Amino acid sequence: MLFNSLEFFIFLPIVFIFFWFAFKNQLKLQNFLIVIASYVFYGWWDWRFLSLIIFSSFVDYSIGVLLKTETKERKRKALLWTSICINIGFLGFFKYYNFFVESFIEAFSFIGLDLSANTLNIILPVGISFYTFQTLSYTIDVYKKKLEPTKDIIAFFAFVSFFPQLVAGPIERATNLLPQFYTTRKFSYQNAVNGFRQVLWGFFKKVVIADNCAKYANLIFNGSEDYSGSTLLIGVFFFAFQIYGDFSGYSDIAIGISRFFGFNLKQNFAFPYFSRDIAEFWRRWHISLSTWFRDYIYIPLGGSRGSLNKKIRNVFIIFLVSGFWHGANWTFIVWGALNAIYFLPLLLTKKNRINTNLVAEGKYLPSIKEIGQMSVTFFITLVAWVFFRADSVTHAFSYLLAMFEITLFSIPTVLPLTILGLLIFFVVVEWLGRHGQFAIEQIDFLKKPLRWSFYMFLIILMFMFTGEDQVFIYFQF
Amino acid sequence: MKKFLKHIALGFLVFIIINALIAIKYEYPNYKAIKNKTHRNFLKWDAMHSNKNSYDLIVIGTSRSYAAFNPVVIDSILGVNSYNMGTSAQDIVETYYALQEIFEYQDPKYIVLDLFFESGDDSHDYYQIFSNSSFFKSKRRQLNLISEGYGSTGFLNYSIPLVKFKNYIKQDVISLFKNNKSLREENNWIKGHPHDTLTVTEEIVAGFGPISNFENTTFSRERFKTYFQKINELVTANDAQLICTRAPYPPHRFTLSDTDDEGNFFESYTAAENVHFIDINKIDNFNTIYFDTDFSDYHHANYRGAKKASEHLAEFIKLIN
Repeated sequence: MLFNSLEFFIFLPIVFIFFWFAFKNQLKLQNFLIVIASYVFYGWWDWRFLSLIIFSSFVDYSIGVLLKTETKERKRKALLWTSICINIGFLGFFKYYNFFVESFIEAFSFIGLDLSANTLNIILPVGISFYTFQTLSYTIDVYKKKLEPTKDIIAFFAFVSFFPQLVAGPIERATNLLPQFYTTRKFSYQNAVNGFRQVLWGFFKKVVIADNCAKYANLIFNGSEDYSGSTLLIGVFFFAFQIYGDFSGYSDIAIGISRFFGFNLKQNFAFPYFSRDIAEFWRRWHISLSTWFRDYIYIPLGGSRGSLNKKIRNVFIIFLVSGFWHGANWTFIVWGALNAIYFLPLLLTKKNRINTNLVAEGKYLPSIKEIGQMSVTFFITLVAWVFFRADSVTHAFSYLLAMFEITLFSIPTVLPLTILGLLIFFVVVEWLGRHGQFAIEQIDFLKKPLRWSFYMFLIILMFMFTGEDQVFIYFQF
Repeated sequence: MKKFLKHIALGFLVFIIINALIAIKYEYPNYKAIKNKTHRNFLKWDAMHSNKNSYDLIVIGTSRSYAAFNPVVIDSILGVNSYNMGTSAQDIVETYYALQEIFEYQDPKYIVLDLFFESGDDSHDYYQIFSNSSFFKSKRRQLNLISEGYGSTGFLNYSIPLVKFKNYIKQDVISLFKNNKSLREENNWIKGHPHDTLTVTEEIVAGFGPISNFENTTFSRERFKTYFQKINELVTANDAQLICTRAPYPPHRFTLSDTDDEGNFFESYTAAENVHFIDINKIDNFNTIYFDTDFSDYHHANYRGAKKASEHLAEFIKLIN
C-alpha cells in the first residue's frame, strides 16, 4: 500500500478510529492492532513476503530472550551470529544473489572463460533492507547489553513491522522505538498537529516536488545522448530534488503518521542540501542509515582512530557498504566510493566536524562564504548523483563527459519554468524552516487564518501539480 | 482529540467548498452550452444517438483527427455518409469505450482511427475524457471507463474538481499574467468537423518543436497495444473494417528531427496486426503537397489541410476496397 494511494486514505482513518476509540487505554490491544494493520499494509503489496517478516521477528525475539539467560560468551556470540546470518542471509539472497552470479560470470568471461550459471527470477521484498537493519540493531544492542530484551512478543512484532516506517524507514533503533510500545499512550493535540504538518509537507515533497522532477529527470537521463551539457546538468539537478523530495517526503509522512498514534520517530533528514561540506551532508542525509552504519560497522572497526591506513580503510568500507546497501549494481558502489573520496580529505585534515551547527543560524541569509560552500557541496553531490541514477557505470561516465562539454554554457533545451518556480518556493520554505525538524514545524508564528490558508495552498498545489504516479524510489532498496 | 478532529473536519469542509466553487466555474459554461445545444461533444453524441444506423464511416481520435478529416469531402469521394467523432485530447482507453457506445447506435462499415502518441501516453486530460463520456447513454459504460479504464486515479479525477480541471485552472492563472487571447474564431462545425480558417503565422512556425518521439512523450507501448487490440476486436466483432491513419503535421516539424518514432512505430505495429494504415505524412511528395500554411497551429490542419488529408484518406479507402 502506498501512502499516496486511495487505499491508504481509507486504511488510515480506520486504524486511527480503532486505535483511539475502540482500544483506548488498552495497550496490548493497541499493539496488536498495529501488528495486524502493519501486516495488512504490507500484505497489500504481496502477502507471501509477510512470512519473511514474521520469521525474522520470531528469530530475533527468541534470540533476544535466549541472550538474556545465556551467560557464556561463546554461546552468546553464537546466538548473535545466528541472527546476523539469518537476517543478512535473507537480504543477501533476495537482493544480491543475481548480482553476484552475474558479476562472477562477467569476471570469468573477462579472462576468456565462459561460465554458465542460472540467475533466478527473484522479487525483492519491499522494505527488506529497512526492517532487517531494524531487527538486527535490536539483537546487537541486546548482545552488547545496551538494551533489556523484551518479553512482550506483540510489542516486539509491532516494533519490527510498525507500518508507517516499515517499507522505507526511518530505520528505528530498538532503544528509541521499542520502549514506546510499553507505555500507555495519550493523545496529544500538539503532537497530532505537528504530525499533520509533517505529513502535509511530506506529501508536498513527494507529490509536487519529487514526482514532477522525476518526469524531467527520467526524460533527460533516458535520452542523455541527445542533450546539451546544460540540459544534462538540469537533468541531474532535477534528480537531486526528485530523490530528496521522494525519500525525505516518505520519512516525513512516516514520522507524521506515527505522531497521530502517539509515537515519536527520529528525524531522518535535516535539510542536507544546505550543507557546507560533504561531512555535514552525511550528517543530514538519511540519518537513520548513516548512524546505523556508524554505530554497528564504523565504530567497531575502529572509526577514525588508529593508523592512516586504518582510517582510510574504514571510510571506504562504510561508504562502499552504504552504496551497496542501496542496490545490487556497480553504479551504487561507485557512488559510495566517490563519496568516500569526497569525505577522506576532510577526515584526514580533521575538518570533518567543523560545520556541526546550523548554517546561518539565527540569520535570514547566509554569508557569501556559506553560499560558496553550499554551492560546491551541492555540485559535488550532483556529480555523485549521476552514478546513483544512471543505468550503468558506462552510462554515468558518458553522461558526465557530455555534461562537461562546452555546451554546458548553452541555454538548456529542457527548462520547465513552472517546475523551477515550484522548486524555488520549496527551497525558500525549507531555508526559512531549517531550524525545525521539518520545514513547516515552526509555522505557529503565522496567525491562524494565514496558517490555514498556507495549509490549503499546499493542498491545492498538491492536487494541481500531481505528477505522474511514481513509486517511492527507496522501495527498491 | 475532539479539537483535532474538529479542525480536520473543518479543513475538509473548506476543501469541499473550494471544489464546489471550481465545479461551478468550469461546469456551468458546459451546462449552458448543453442547454443551448452548442456543446460540441453533446452535438456529436446527439448525432450518434438520434440518427440510428445512418453512418457508414466514423472517424475517431483526438482533436488532430477532427481537424484533419472533413466528412463532407470523404462523402463526396466515397459516396458514403460519414461522421467525425474525434474529441479533444481523446485517450486510447476513451476511444475504446466511445466505440462501444457508437456500435450500440450505429452500424458503420468503416472505423477510421487516427493514431497519435499522446493518446497512448501516461498523462491524461481527465476533464476532456469525462466530458466526452458524460454523453454516453449507458451509465454502466461511464462507470467502466472510470474504474476499469483509469482505476483509482480515474476515480480521484472524476470526483475532485480541483484535479479534474487542473489544466484549465493553470491556464487561467497563467492568463492573468500573460495575454493569451486566442486568435481562433468560433468555427462552423459540420458533421463533427470544424471548418477552421485560421492559418499559422511564420513566427509560430519558427517556434515549432520536433514531432513526438519516445523521449519527449510518456507513450506507453503496453497500454497502447492492450487497447488497440481491444478496439480491433470490437470493430471486427461488429463487422466493420478498422483503418488507421496518422493525420498530417506541418512539414517544417519533420526537419527538426532525424527520426520519426511515432510514424515508424505505428507503421510497423499496424503491419504486424494486419490492420490497414495510411500515414498521410509519408505519402509520396508530401513536402510538395502539404505546406505549413495548411495548419492552424503545430499539429492541427486547417480547412485547406483538412481538404487534402480527407482526399488522401478517401482515396486510400477506395484503393484497399
